[in-house]
Amino acid sequence: MAGIAAERYTGASIKRSEDPRILTGSGRYVDDIKLPGMLHAAFVRSPLAHARVLSVDVSAARDLPGVVAAFTGAELEAMTVPGPDVLMALLGGGGPTPEFTLLATDKVRFAGDPVAVVIAESRYLAEDGCELVDVEYDDLPPVANASFALDPSSPPLFANLGDNIVGPRSRSEFGDVAATFAHADRVIDFRIGVHRHQNVPMEGRGCVASYDAGLGVMTVYAATQSVHVSRIAVAMRLGIEQDKVHVLAGDVGGSFGLKIGASREELAVAAASRAIGRPVKWVEDRGENLTASGQAREESFDVLAAVSSAGDLLGLDVKVVIDTGSYPGMGTMVPAIMEAMLPGPYKLAALGFESTAVTTNKASYVAYRGPWASETFVRERVLDLIAKDLGLDPLEIRLRNVAPRTDPPAAMITGRPLVGVTTRESLERLAQLVDFPAFRRRQAEARARGRYLGIGLATFIEAAPGPRSPEGPSGPMGMESMRLRLEEDGVVVLFTGQMPHGQSHQTTLAQIAADEFGVPFEQVRVVVGDTDVVPFGLTGGSRSATMTGGVALHGARQLRAKVLDFASHLMEASAQDLQITDGHVWVRGDPASAIAVGEVARRAASGQFGADVDANLEVEAAFDGGEGGWSGGSHCAIVEVDVETGMVTVQRYVVAEDCGALINPAVVDGQIRGGVAQGIGAVLLERSAYDEDGNCQSATLMDYLVPTACDIPRIEIEHLQTVPLDADVNFRGVGEGGMIVAPPTVVNAIEDALSPFGVRIYEQHLPPARILELIAAADSGQ
Amino acid sequence: MKVDITLRINGATCTGSPEARKTLADFLRDDLNLTGTHVGCEHGVCGACTVIVDGRTVRSCLMLAVQAAGCEVTTIEGLAPDGELGTLQQAMWDSHSFQCGFCTPGFVMQATAFLRAHPDADEQQIREALSGNICRCTGYQSIIDGVLLAAERARQS
Repeated sequence: MAGIAAERYTGASIKRSEDPRILTGSGRYVDDIKLPGMLHAAFVRSPLAHARVLSVDVSAARDLPGVVAAFTGAELEAMTVPGPDVLMALLGGGGPTPEFTLLATDKVRFAGDPVAVVIAESRYLAEDGCELVDVEYDDLPPVANASFALDPSSPPLFANLGDNIVGPRSRSEFGDVAATFAHADRVIDFRIGVHRHQNVPMEGRGCVASYDAGLGVMTVYAATQSVHVSRIAVAMRLGIEQDKVHVLAGDVGGSFGLKIGASREELAVAAASRAIGRPVKWVEDRGENLTASGQAREESFDVLAAVSSAGDLLGLDVKVVIDTGSYPGMGTMVPAIMEAMLPGPYKLAALGFESTAVTTNKASYVAYRGPWASETFVRERVLDLIAKDLGLDPLEIRLRNVAPRTDPPAAMITGRPLVGVTTRESLERLAQLVDFPAFRRRQAEARARGRYLGIGLATFIEAAPGPRSPEGPSGPMGMESMRLRLEEDGVVVLFTGQMPHGQSHQTTLAQIAADEFGVPFEQVRVVVGDTDVVPFGLTGGSRSATMTGGVALHGARQLRAKVLDFASHLMEASAQDLQITDGHVWVRGDPASAIAVGEVARRAASGQFGADVDANLEVEAAFDGGEGGWSGGSHCAIVEVDVETGMVTVQRYVVAEDCGALINPAVVDGQIRGGVAQGIGAVLLERSAYDEDGNCQSATLMDYLVPTACDIPRIEIEHLQTVPLDADVNFRGVGEGGMIVAPPTVVNAIEDALSPFGVRIYEQHLPPARILELIAAADSGQ
Repeated sequence: MKVDITLRINGATCTGSPEARKTLADFLRDDLNLTGTHVGCEHGVCGACTVIVDGRTVRSCLMLAVQAAGCEVTTIEGLAPDGELGTLQQAMWDSHSFQCGFCTPGFVMQATAFLRAHPDADEQQIREALSGNICRCTGYQSIIDGVLLAAERARQS
């Protein structure tokens, strides 16, 4: 054992332990589950956006050979418990919370709303059965957009609400808004809109539900971001105790916020399984995913900016209306986060913020990677628009307005301290990496040849988890827990409530624990996805790096202390003189004393010790986020706009970011690039579109366009030196940042490219046709 | 209506009786338990279900099982039958190519067929060859890097 080397896994791009199964087709996704006697569900969905349901006749479907059961909304309602959106029930939305059934009963509220479910021996037969279900509708005027929803004459989606406002108008003020605006050199107003986006994970929603009547236990194999939130949802809606619900998840094929808990359809499938007494599978097809799984964003902002002639952004007054679609949930919770985050890293002295959330006849609002991100879009767009008005450079106006890093730290006008924020450094680093003056020369030469290049930059911070709050644990979801155990084969097992769906937790958490405990990386196993064995948790909100990375570190440290304490009895040495490296416990300075940790665990399990010796080599750890901190960074895009076709090409994309200490740089870079790709897609391609009757116009992947390998450039990433805040845990979340800041980065670049035409951009979705319209409108002086 | 078919899958002769309307993807997954082939869109856009039929890549969601009668089909399970990763899979592992893994089998099959025909492809050619496969997680760079690395290793060996 001489010369035991202390190898550090944390900070290295360790190859993912997930990959051998994924690369060989051996992953286990929910659609790969097959249970004996399993049936398949398919839903009958409304073709209309808004209508009364007069009758639903499933008898012909029931008569079809191979169909085992069919349930109408009313029948399913009798089998379940009505309630609000489960997330709203858990977290509270601040507005009225309409209760709704799993399948539509009295009326349908969007095109795609499920009205009946058919259960058959195969999915093919279940869909055949759906064709035979006869539904009579009575059309209601569709509430197809937010402005009609705000009109008191619009027919309310939920009769008990009386109107279509689910997040009633509320106003907050921070700083002296009136005085700031009164004393400003200029007040500039803008109306900025963000279109409807969609998550579009490559695997849609789905589940297999299997009810054991003997035990009274409902087992659900889920595709979810949290087995525990799914369990709560199933228990609530099926009216059974949480203890009688067992949720399991294997590999999950992406989510980006879509799969938090269990959807109405998944709950309906669970109810159907209980009623029939056989396992039932439902996996949505892409049509269902694009029309019915949920959508995000679609806000409009009326912005007043108080500005000094020198380019200081003194105050903002923002009124946002958010279109939460048909069944209110996450959408009503987002404005509060926007409000808190709107100042960003800037020394804004006053903020007025007003929000209204409305319900419309569209698919429901769901979380999507940085749900509040439009505040960054608005702020970074407004800064560029102001810079243009004042003749300032986009870099200059940002550097001018960024809050300086002081001790004690400056605070956002909305409250949180900007401790350790490296926005200035990220902007300065971008300027070095990109060489703006050289670009401007190239841009001028290109314009002389009729080619339109543009440069855009934008910056963001994200509370991932955010600075330590005097009130309690970092992050909105509180403490993170983990159970850790040393097995008799020497493997350290981590039980985490994180539910990875691409984030590589089985690699990154093992890296941290391996280092802290002192075993090889291969000797750590990360267990996820089983409510019977993992603690409560949720993967989302860029939470896991700090919170779960932190609990893995502290938990491994606790387990190590416990193992050493036990080993001290075994080895007749003081625990202080023992150490663990490379999977062995040994007396410091005496390599010959080394015992494999598995042997220690076997001895502990032998029962040969008295009650005064703690031989249970397992710990329950919890972590409050420590000192927490901000993630953030600045991005720069260089684009070329073909003014004949309206096509935009992203020529170069550079990121200077700070997500604290890196656990696995390749994983971090993957998160950033994936987020940026979604942001580029949001601007150039993607839009969940509805016509004036509330028909979804983006029901296939030929209509909802997601970027391909030809649309996304190489993304250059520079990691900045971070400001450590915590003694041990300085990993910060990185999942959402790319998607938060890429849209303003790209739009700013496009506006810069089109500046010879005098184009000003107040929106986010810029496909070729829209680019041509903007040029034409500017040309004609509109 | 069920139809008896015989075909070769991953080097072994297989018989089955799929419904005439059953897609090749569903036949592989449901009837043969080859769940490595994933179904992402069922309208031929996303490429997750890509398999190789008689040397050419096809969308197994757009092909009926009965159309594959008499054909030689290779799925992701056929690339590393003894558990040993192939050159491309190893290069993709080394390059951190993927995240959630759902699109992965389609990309691996598409890139396998492409590299076989174009071992000297450059980055732009690889991007175009993979532009019919959608990945929502990675922004593609790591996938492209994996294919480039595999091509380089293949040339060196």
